[in-house]
Amino acid sequence: MLARTALIAALLIVLIVVPPFLGIGWQNALTNMLIASLFAMAFNLLIGQAGLLSFGHAAFFGVGAFATLHLMGAIEDRVVSFPTPLLPLAGAAAGFVIGAFAGYFATMRSGVYFALVTLAIAELLHSLAPHWDGLFGGEAGLSSMRMPWAGLTFGSPLQVYYLALGWAVLSILLLWAYTRTPFGRLTLALRDNEQRVRFIGYNAHTTKVIIFSISAMFSGIAGALLAISNETANYSLFSTHVSAQVVLHTFVGGSTVFLGPAVGASIFTLFAFYISEVTRTWLLYQGLIFVLVMLYAPQGIGGLVQTHIQHWSKISWPELGRAYALAAVVAACFAAAVVFLVESFAIIFSPEYAAARGRLDGTWPPFKLFGVEWEVFSPVTWMIPIGLLAVGLLLLPSARRMLRETWDQILERAEAARTAKSEIQLAGAMER
Amino acid sequence: MKSRSIGLALGVAVALGLPAEAVQAEALKIGIIESLSGTQTSTGRLFAAAAKFVVDDINKNGGFNGSPIEVIEYDNAGGSTGAADKFKQAVADGVHIVLQGASSAIAGQITEDVRKHNIRNPGKEVMFINLGAEALELTGDKCHFYHFRFTTTAPMRVNALVNAMKKAGELGTRVYAINQNYSWGRDMEDATKAAAKTGGYEVVATVLHEVNKIQDFSPYVAKIKEANPDTVVTGNWSNDLLLLMKATGDAGLKVRFATTFLDQVGNIANAGETALGHYVAHPYNIEADNTDFPQAYKAATGHLPVYIEPQTVNAVRTLGQALKSVDFGGGDIKVSEIAKALEKASIDTPMGKITVRAEDHQAVIPVVVSKVIDNPKYPVDDTKFGFGVVEIIPGPDAIYPVQASCKMERPS
Amino acid sequence: MEFLIISTLNGVTYGLLLFMVSAGLTLIFGMMGVLNFAHASFYMLGAYIAYTVTTTINFWLGLLIAPILVGLLGIFVERNLLRRVHAYGHAHELLLTFGLAFIFEELIKLFYGDFPVNYSMPDYLRFPAFTIFGTDYPFYRVFIGLVAVGMFVTLYLLLSRTRAGLVVRAAERLPTMAESLGHNVPLVFMGVFGTGAAFAGLAGAVAGAFFPTNPNMAIELGVIVFVVVVVGGLGSLEGSLVASLLIGLFSSFAVGLDWSLAGLLSWVGLGDWARSVGGLFTLTLSSISGTVPFLLMLIVLLVRPAGLMGERN
Repeated sequence: MLARTALIAALLIVLIVVPPFLGIGWQNALTNMLIASLFAMAFNLLIGQAGLLSFGHAAFFGVGAFATLHLMGAIEDRVVSFPTPLLPLAGAAAGFVIGAFAGYFATMRSGVYFALVTLAIAELLHSLAPHWDGLFGGEAGLSSMRMPWAGLTFGSPLQVYYLALGWAVLSILLLWAYTRTPFGRLTLALRDNEQRVRFIGYNAHTTKVIIFSISAMFSGIAGALLAISNETANYSLFSTHVSAQVVLHTFVGGSTVFLGPAVGASIFTLFAFYISEVTRTWLLYQGLIFVLVMLYAPQGIGGLVQTHIQHWSKISWPELGRAYALAAVVAACFAAAVVFLVESFAIIFSPEYAAARGRLDGTWPPFKLFGVEWEVFSPVTWMIPIGLLAVGLLLLPSARRMLRETWDQILERAEAARTAKSEIQLAGAMER
Repeated sequence: MKSRSIGLALGVAVALGLPAEAVQAEALKIGIIESLSGTQTSTGRLFAAAAKFVVDDINKNGGFNGSPIEVIEYDNAGGSTGAADKFKQAVADGVHIVLQGASSAIAGQITEDVRKHNIRNPGKEVMFINLGAEALELTGDKCHFYHFRFTTTAPMRVNALVNAMKKAGELGTRVYAINQNYSWGRDMEDATKAAAKTGGYEVVATVLHEVNKIQDFSPYVAKIKEANPDTVVTGNWSNDLLLLMKATGDAGLKVRFATTFLDQVGNIANAGETALGHYVAHPYNIEADNTDFPQAYKAATGHLPVYIEPQTVNAVRTLGQALKSVDFGGGDIKVSEIAKALEKASIDTPMGKITVRAEDHQAVIPVVVSKVIDNPKYPVDDTKFGFGVVEIIPGPDAIYPVQASCKMERPS
Repeated sequence: MEFLIISTLNGVTYGLLLFMVSAGLTLIFGMMGVLNFAHASFYMLGAYIAYTVTTTINFWLGLLIAPILVGLLGIFVERNLLRRVHAYGHAHELLLTFGLAFIFEELIKLFYGDFPVNYSMPDYLRFPAFTIFGTDYPFYRVFIGLVAVGMFVTLYLLLSRTRAGLVVRAAERLPTMAESLGHNVPLVFMGVFGTGAAFAGLAGAVAGAFFPTNPNMAIELGVIVFVVVVVGGLGSLEGSLVASLLIGLFSSFAVGLDWSLAGLLSWVGLGDWARSVGGLFTLTLSSISGTVPFLLMLIVLLVRPAGLMGERN
């Protein structure tokens, strides 16, 4: 518990102190990371806690962005005077109102139908927005400029970063406080057994609408931060891609752990920033990682970390370390093989390569990858990924066995400790 | 959480470990923020290839300011959000001049970002050379000193088409306007309506449709048939033009198309015989080029210059001309000086002379009106069809008047 | 009159195309409770496989090979991927298919590029089927319609007249019961998934030659196909046929209709006021033709989630 607070505090200190020393490229990336993390945390309020899977959360994200831009425009034209740092309030308000409206209808259904309703709402906005010039600026969207306030110009990416940091931390704190309130507990109860919640006397539909609105409100704040950072918004903010990204981030990070979605969002946005200039196949890797997590680690990265922390004292580190080392080798082999193949194919099937072939009258020139030149039809080139795959496949059964055995032992020990503890408690109770 | 800290630590290490700026002449950095992925990839890559062709040439002749010019490509993924992100990255990388052309929507985003950046960073301005975005607002209410447009606009293309087709007696008196529902398409519709008097025709109907979403144009063809026009004027590009022409061919509708982007790579291959006799207004036609430019371009890139490549080459050549007249002595580059020089630059091209109009930074370029014919000197798309020249209109005759909405603030 | 006839013909053929893709989706949902986000990806993969085969060998072989390969892929997905996450619940299955759709789209972009490919029918198929009011109607559109009708008839006969169809229907209604009667229900699920995928692949192979073949096909069609299965009723084959025709006809007619709320209000004399307000009132039906299907889906979901012909649940 103390360790966890210390870790979070250390992280905050790093986030506050380090960015002035980074280039503006990194500062922008960190701002994007904060926005994505907040959006994922807001999304997880619905799925992680209330058990409602929404496929159209981009709607509230976008609405928050547009509302903020309208306010920014009003400030710029001197129609109103409003402190720039408080701009996300516009996003929050718009998100809350539209969320309440949409949520009222969406929560009339559950499960797959709920997901489809949210999808339909987002798609409705997405197809309507380009035609609605007044509200959404049509195809080009809306654009404005951050106005100075109280001596701060908000002209540099660093100031925008600190603004985003402040709002993200505040919002996540509020979300955490929410889980501590009785209403927060009610949310969890709703996920576990809605009927029982009704029997206790609560109106399930109203409860769900409130939860939906709160989730939409924080999504709106995230959208507002994007609008402040980019000073622009257009209808593409309502696209399925945006809704898809938040789903990916949340589940890779782990929707059962509170900070899981933030972890997933941070990893993906920072990775995307780092890698997307190097390769255009980043999205494919993202999809592969997501599917692998879904298949083998359904609790996400956060869930995995959580399990380790839970059984910390029962873990025999030398054993687990060996199992993980082997698993890491297997994973590295597979990853290296996949990356090699994907990157090679990306080059060979690219239009630039086809143009180069055209220049050389149809022969297949060697391609450059990882600083080495490879011949397309030479066995050496393809032996490398095949060899790596083979090594990985060979070691896979032993790795799986070792992992399973080690964890079985850990869980046995945990179970034994638990029964021992309950026996002591029972004995103590009997004595009394 | 741990991974986040490690990532940040790595980032700090990378940032601090970066080598200090080499103590030598400051290199001019050009950032091409283009659609290098997404639906407009093929066009985006052409812009990048053509720009690099000229920069390579300049570098062969000594570069600028004592160093070779650096070209950095950024992929905006075909969207304005991507463009906004990449612009920030370009600024972080020290880019001085941004090039882009594949979309008016993206150009609108970039020009605004450039304008705001220049307001916030006086002395470290960035310039935007617009290679192909033709929406009027870019030299209208969005105009500013650091934006230059080196391509045509809707009025230029429509007026050229109308005049040339009328002279050839192929315009008719009933004109139908079908366009995409965004800034460019609306400009085309307005220009078509505005030219009705001088062209001596009646605009029988106008249609604005969704951009690049329509899979099936046969309902639109049915509407066109109903209106019974002689000529259909359209600013559609990519799939929107292709599918429109395909649907027209499939339905057997006999009508003449006056287009602006018929010469896009792949259109003639797909349309085939149905394209014969249709018109296009564009900045360049290889049939009228007797210089060695086409062969030089083919030697460098593997193909003859097509579509938007010639106008890009001209734009960057004009920039090169402007660079010749500024001298920073190997010291810091001042983009404001380059911009002032670009205003006064002019070059000769195979189609005619190109100058820059100082009031709104619109380049005054010649417009060629061509018609799809059989067996030309340069067949396109591996077919036996190509574009025969109908008329070349010199820059000063083709240009449109300065828009009242452009209120450019000049640096002191 | 001409507009009416041509739009009806176009609407029917487009609707039949939608049916080809949505038939598999609705069957899979009805049977396994899984809304397969990757279904439209099967459509796209079918188109691209057919494109590859057409450009290297032959068009008709492409039409044959594409559904087979996509069907096999569907079987692989069901057996090795979906079955593994079955224990974690429907939400997880949904998310898995979602991730798969993502991966398929990126793989297509990797191998074929992020732009449309020139997949078109051979020239001898490019003739008018008939001429109506002076406009030619392309034969290939009729061909698409014929393939769709053939598919519906095949599916219907398979389900209602064959023994295998009987088992499928039983497994859909009461899977555990069917299993205890000795039928291999997991095999049935695999077969249904594979068949659904194969049909989507066939639809892609056939339609991709007429409509643009690009990596966005899956998303563009996918969302409309969801509308179709919801409106028709999740699980109902007949419902999905009716709904596809409905949406196809609507999309076709909407393009030519410039109705707007302002126009409607002018009937009660408020037309000029509405036009001066602008915004929502002046949007014409033709420009928002893409939006209306979603409105329809919302209304159906909220009012009658069982759709037109689905079972109440």
